[in-house]
Amino acid sequence: MNNHLFYLIHRFICLLCLFACTGPVYGQQVDVKERTLSNGMKLLMLERHHSPTIAGGWVVRVGSVNERPGITGIAHLFEHMMFKGTPAIGTKDAKRDAEIINEQEIVRDAMRLEESKMRLALRRGEINDLEKAENKTPRYRELEVKFNELIKNQREILVKNEFDRIYTTAGASGMNAFTSNDMTGYFITVPANKLEMWTWMESERLLRPVFREFYAERDVVFEERRMRTESTPLGKFQESLEALFWESHPYGWPVIGWPSDIPSISKAQADEFYSLYYAPQNITLVLVGDFKVEEAEGLCEKYFGRIPRGKKRIPEVVTSEVAQKVEKRMNAEAEANPQVDILWHSPAAGHPDARALKVLAAVLSGRSGRLHKSLVLDKELATTAFAQQMSRKYAGMFNVGGESKDTKTPGDVENGIYDEISRLKSELVSDRELQKVKNNFAAIAVRRTSSNFHMLLQLIQYEGVDSWKAINTEIPNILEVEAEDIQRVARKYLIKENRTVATYTRKAGVKAPDDPSLAGLSADQQAVVRRISKQIKLEKNKESLEQQLKTMEEQLGQAGEKQEGLMKIIMIKIAERLAELSK
Amino acid sequence: MFRIFNIKKRYFLIIAATLVHFFVHAQEIPDRPEKLKFSPLVYDPPNPVDYRVELSSGAIVYIYPDRERPLIDLSFNIRGGSYLDPDGKEGLAGMTGYLMARGGIPSKLADELDEELEFLAARLSSNFGGLNGSVSLNLLSKDVDRGFEILKAVLAAPSFQQDKLDLRKSQVVQQLKKRNDDSSSIESRERNFLAYGDNFWFNRYLTDVSIESIRREDLLEFHHKWVHPKNFIISVSGDFDRDEMLNRLNRVLDSWPHKGQLAPQVPQQQKYGKPGVYIVDKDVNQGRVSIIMPGIRWDHPDYYAIQIMNDILGGGGFTSRITNRVRSDEGLAYSARSSFPGGAFYPIVFRAGFQSKSRTVLYAASIVLEEIDKIIKEPVNKEEILTAKKSFIDTFPNNFSSSSQIVSQFASDEMIGRFSKEKDYWGKYRDRIEAVDIEAVQLVAKKHLNLDKAIVLIVGQKQSIIDGHPDHPVNLKRLTSGSVQDLPIRNPLSMKPEK
Repeated sequence: MNNHLFYLIHRFICLLCLFACTGPVYGQQVDVKERTLSNGMKLLMLERHHSPTIAGGWVVRVGSVNERPGITGIAHLFEHMMFKGTPAIGTKDAKRDAEIINEQEIVRDAMRLEESKMRLALRRGEINDLEKAENKTPRYRELEVKFNELIKNQREILVKNEFDRIYTTAGASGMNAFTSNDMTGYFITVPANKLEMWTWMESERLLRPVFREFYAERDVVFEERRMRTESTPLGKFQESLEALFWESHPYGWPVIGWPSDIPSISKAQADEFYSLYYAPQNITLVLVGDFKVEEAEGLCEKYFGRIPRGKKRIPEVVTSEVAQKVEKRMNAEAEANPQVDILWHSPAAGHPDARALKVLAAVLSGRSGRLHKSLVLDKELATTAFAQQMSRKYAGMFNVGGESKDTKTPGDVENGIYDEISRLKSELVSDRELQKVKNNFAAIAVRRTSSNFHMLLQLIQYEGVDSWKAINTEIPNILEVEAEDIQRVARKYLIKENRTVATYTRKAGVKAPDDPSLAGLSADQQAVVRRISKQIKLEKNKESLEQQLKTMEEQLGQAGEKQEGLMKIIMIKIAERLAELSK
Repeated sequence: MFRIFNIKKRYFLIIAATLVHFFVHAQEIPDRPEKLKFSPLVYDPPNPVDYRVELSSGAIVYIYPDRERPLIDLSFNIRGGSYLDPDGKEGLAGMTGYLMARGGIPSKLADELDEELEFLAARLSSNFGGLNGSVSLNLLSKDVDRGFEILKAVLAAPSFQQDKLDLRKSQVVQQLKKRNDDSSSIESRERNFLAYGDNFWFNRYLTDVSIESIRREDLLEFHHKWVHPKNFIISVSGDFDRDEMLNRLNRVLDSWPHKGQLAPQVPQQQKYGKPGVYIVDKDVNQGRVSIIMPGIRWDHPDYYAIQIMNDILGGGGFTSRITNRVRSDEGLAYSARSSFPGGAFYPIVFRAGFQSKSRTVLYAASIVLEEIDKIIKEPVNKEEILTAKKSFIDTFPNNFSSSSQIVSQFASDEMIGRFSKEKDYWGKYRDRIEAVDIEAVQLVAKKHLNLDKAIVLIVGQKQSIIDGHPDHPVNLKRLTSGSVQDLPIRNPLSMKPEK
């Protein structure tokens, strides 16, 4: 009862606050109706009657940030498991299905003992790779046969992907989910007459989920890791960069999970995780579209209200990032164009400085932004450049980067970026520039309401980090940022000791370039430089070399930028040879 | 006063909550969702004729005033594209398209224009793809006058500044260098070579040389020839008065400064590759696979039955067979699916594809081939066909969920000739899907899926892939009836095979 009062009063105060600040905003207020169900689950409703559809979803305030070493990736694995059905959905014989799942767990437990032995063998160097089928112990293989037999039995009574089939047959579409560092979101679009279907399906899977096919799904997730992280040109390096950037914060491990952890997560761990975090008081339901608020509220109470409130308090994430003491750097040879990626620690979403950094990033970004003007157009260091402030729930990252031009290096781009940041620290941003970026923020609020689904996703995002109310307050707050704020946050956060820098140079063919000066050149250009430097090294005539150097110096002014970089490298080679000959 | 209001409101809500509580628990929750009752949903799609206007200049416009937000969303779709690139100047259409909005206008240099547009928070972009191009503007309705001045200049008299051309060339060459970085780019490129032949317009790739050869005069010529009201199909929605907007459009299009030509037919001469297995060796720990077969166009009489057949086979996500077996049963891939689109201007191939760790690539491929064989040989079941049909029929309103989606859908129909061939395409759509039965599905599977013509393309670590998985041995040579062949990596700049 007390709780109920609190919510009413809370809502009232917020309304007052909105009335107070609606004046200067161009964008329409998003008129969300907020309710709290009897079990503490929150419900957000936004009526829109443009087409006969409803976008429905819910967000759980749990993400990879709530994990610990050993079970990294579990929040995301969970997202996958939530599509596997209930006792009624997904099997022809719920009782037998549950028995088989229990038998499977007994076998899996024995397999885990073997996995433990294999990890020991790996540490001792007796095997080289846990993933290799040939490295499994004989006992493990025996158990695997037994386990596969149980899978076969289960498949006989399985109704394959029935959860999807029911929805699809009812005309629902776009069923999906996402997991981030901070939250897990689930969503779908249903025809306007199927609201009750949605409440049935979603409340059933929250009330009594069955995690069948758990181990096959774990393999699917590992394939997802290979697809997103391991087999893309930059995925594995970006993972390293984030791990380097966060020292103590749980943001340091990837959402998809470490490769050692994904294949060792057990169903028991999953059950425990579920009962703790998927509690009504940690979940918000969101509906956007063609329905009536009163009807939706009644249905949600009827269906979702059945789910018992979680017994335990949701543990808070207390580990915060230690203050960085020294600049951190990494250089990766990647199958990618040469580029630089810089991260600075910045405040969490909701902190006023995060807003000022958002405006600062906007000043740097865009086709008429400072980075494009300076790095791409004036100094011709980069082909592209970007800046962004990424505010997460517990901490933020300010990120600037760019791809270097043919003849330039990632280091050149990096220095160009620092020049622009210094300028932000020493001079105030002009009124016109500030107005320009504010006009764009104001327009975001106008463009926002394009589709039910898009609106749903935004409400889920805001609610997952803090509260949906930010959808109406964020832009007005951003419009309050002053030039002085930008200068202040540039000076406070964008400093050397607070940054982590990744530079990428192109991996040449199979072999990495043996000559560091060749880094950043294409394979073709490297071949040219190698051939010429070979000739230079054989040259014994000092005068001829000096003559060449002089001619090249004269030509340098007229050369196109493509040749200029190559020429400079060759000139250095000549100078080095001259120095050698002068010894 | 607020205090009183607050108390009243609170009481009201508590009473309401109690009532709701009492009421809802009166009805039992059924044990299966099928037992729920739903009111019928009647939906009539919008009719293109209601939105279509033919302007005096010959341009077609689809127009939908919608005052929900103070925004205007406008797109000039232009017939023509890279299929019109002259030999040796591959990339000309793309360059022209990009620089129309980014290369300045008579009254303003490109950088000044960017500055002004960003100050207005307007989004202007232009491009030419393979078959058509567009100039799009999304802006606040208060800026409509200025927006149309800019739009007219960008459409009719772009400057194509030399410095912006040089910059764009260097950016494009930079892009070309990435061509082999991601195995997915290699896969889609080689798939197109195998599906349509080296000489199909689609497979004339731009190179560093072709980009280098493009001059400003080439852009002007391409622009004068093809960017013309005769080739325009316009879609516009948002905060405006219909007649006023039509007048604005007429003022942009009447007395066009260039003569222009009607874009010619899209070339059709395709050459499907020799059936068999093709491998590109690339050092990534997950192999990518495409299995292709000859395809159809959207106006083929079998189109509807093919859509249902493909949905059951691998197009319907988690309700489809390929996803069920490769992903859910075996955990071999994150994404495993098939597509059988009707091409707009030329037949587009059937494709089944997935990504799997090197050593299970062949096993997964054998499962996909097995499923294709099965849908050819055995009829699908009643439940499958019901789900597939519902997924098209009951999601039908999703095609028209906003004003901008409605006009752009109709503009695209106009572009591919659907409107001129079948004005009532969407009106008949659901009945045509409904008419597909089990026999029809099997008939099109037998007719359009031909395993003797299958081409299997694999990109990944060749040796590990061939080694396969000890528990699931699959012989590469017996995957298809055709031969096994290595495909070389192409030089990213010249597209010539290396080694």
